[in-house]
Amino acid sequence: MNDKWTDRLSEYLDGELAPSERTALEAHFASCGDCRTTLEELRRVVMRARALDDRPPAADLWPAIAEHVGVVSLAARAERARRRFTFTVPQLAAASVALALLSGGGAWLLSRRETVAARSTASTTSPVLMNASAYASDARYAAQVATLERALETGRGRLDTATVRVIEKNLGIIDRAIRDAQSALAGDPANAYLNLHLAQEMRRKLELLRQAATLAGARS
Amino acid sequence: MELTTAGVATLRGDPDQAAKDAETADAALAASGDGRAFERLYRSHVARVHSLVRRMIGPDHADDIAQDVFVRAWTKLSTFRGDAAFGTWLHRLAVNVILARRSTIGTERSRYHDAEGALDDVAGHRATPELTMDFEEAIGRLPDGARQVFVLHDIQGYRHEEIAEMLGIVPGTSKSQLHHARMALRRHLER
Repeated sequence: MNDKWTDRLSEYLDGELAPSERTALEAHFASCGDCRTTLEELRRVVMRARALDDRPPAADLWPAIAEHVGVVSLAARAERARRRFTFTVPQLAAASVALALLSGGGAWLLSRRETVAARSTASTTSPVLMNASAYASDARYAAQVATLERALETGRGRLDTATVRVIEKNLGIIDRAIRDAQSALAGDPANAYLNLHLAQEMRRKLELLRQAATLAGARS
Repeated sequence: MELTTAGVATLRGDPDQAAKDAETADAALAASGDGRAFERLYRSHVARVHSLVRRMIGPDHADDIAQDVFVRAWTKLSTFRGDAAFGTWLHRLAVNVILARRSTIGTERSRYHDAEGALDDVAGHRATPELTMDFEEAIGRLPDGARQVFVLHDIQGYRHEEIAEMLGIVPGTSKSQLHHARMALRRHLER
């Protein structure tokens, strides 16, 4: 099959024939089965070409490109981050032993402290970590907090907004921690850890208020 | 809060436009030296660029040339104005890199007008169960001129006038090469 129209079939398919040629070719189709078949095959070639899938290279080209242009790969960053937090099995084993020793030691110290506190109930004037109940039921603590809060309120106008914002944020965090500890203690009043934690938070609140009030006073 | 163009496109529910806008933003970031933005662009386009190179010039140098395309893109990012889609800009750049590399790697195995033998070779291999030539492989066996015109026109979607300008030929030659390529390839359509 090769008549004068065969070489024009692609142009017909692409709509590039002049109207008169187009009309003539369409008239030719009526009597030429070969041209009709070839046209259909060419149409399928075009459709097949448009449907070809793009495939990435077998090996990632980015590392070489990144090196060439002097940038760091996202994968390299992730790998570095992963390596930063990767431990070997011996390291993990050593860490778990250390953790067990610390936990055991901490529990022993707590139990010792409770024993000592029980033995010397009369001498609780200035423990390193006061028992929470001592704070909670201590009127002096409540009075001190109230005094410092008033002083802070009076002097807050002298502090810049950012400082006030930081103080309030931290006080909010401490108050939440105190409420959480109190709530947990209500269900487990004898829990030594919770008692200690509550005492720490209450002391932190007092210290923060004291520092803030001092700061506000110093600006006057 | 000021919405970015990409944000507006997203709100309009036009994911294609949003993707294009995001690429334009990445191109701007990359032009200012943001390697992560450039890597995102690379990841989005590497398959298409690599396939274009492989089809135009063969698999042997595809990695090397595709890599070169992205290195050139990095150095020319400041010339991307965002008038067209980033992909359009990148693929035109890729074509230029490929065509510039043709002569240096000796891929011009035949000229545009003496390819009949090669075309016959491609056309002669009918896709039979015993000898099945993959459509991609058949494209790779076309002579350079016919293959490049076929890839640029039927796969990449360029017009004959554009192809003629890129390849330094006249549009009539581009049309003729395309027809020869199609005629050869019709034997390799999957049944």
